[in-house]
Amino acid sequence: MRTLQPLTAKQLATAEQRLLNPAPGSRIEAARKYGVDLTLTIEQLRLTPAERGQKLEDAATALLQFRGIARRRA
Amino acid sequence: MQFQRAIQALCDNGVAFIVVGGLSATFLGSARITYDLDICYSRDQANCKLLALALAPYHPRPRGFPPELPFIWDETTLRNSEIFTLKTDIGEIDLLAEVIGLGGFEQVKAYAMSVGAFERDFLTLDLPGLIKAKRAAGREKDLAALPELESLLEADSE
Repeated sequence: MRTLQPLTAKQLATAEQRLLNPAPGSRIEAARKYGVDLTLTIEQLRLTPAERGQKLEDAATALLQFRGIARRRA
Repeated sequence: MQFQRAIQALCDNGVAFIVVGGLSATFLGSARITYDLDICYSRDQANCKLLALALAPYHPRPRGFPPELPFIWDETTLRNSEIFTLKTDIGEIDLLAEVIGLGGFEQVKAYAMSVGAFERDFLTLDLPGLIKAKRAAGREKDLAALPELESLLEADSE
């Protein structure tokens, strides 16, 4: 079974270069034109998979709490 | 959504499952936020029993199900359907016996990889599998996720 690993420094550098300077006609260029903020994607790639999961849990919890506060005030 | 508690409950009860959907995308590098946990589970009898036990403490009920109607959460209920969209004390959890575009648990497993997160090791979809599933699902929110996922695949290609 394969294991999802954090990117190595070399893999990260390659990914960053491709995401920040997409080749014409590439999927990455299409995503940028679609409106995807690829700088956020790069920030995610700098984290380990475990850190990405924890960051999502923190963000989802904070947003749900915010929604609850807003609902109670309404 | 308390992803950690849900994942730990599933792992600690020995449930055979694969994370699919938004949380998979997060592990793979997506910056999109998801509020629910989607898992594909093995429908064999023993696993349904473990899954029922794992989630029972969090009082699962189908989302939108009238509160006045009784709902029995057990392995028989799990074996009688292939999709459950649940509301629980720890958040919304979707259980899928089959993933559109990929197939049942054993087929989904061919696209799975191990990930260490939330202090446990478990299975999650890989990028080609996730892209295939999102494309096949074809809902607006699935299609909207594709450009970033395809960028991740291209950014990481040899």
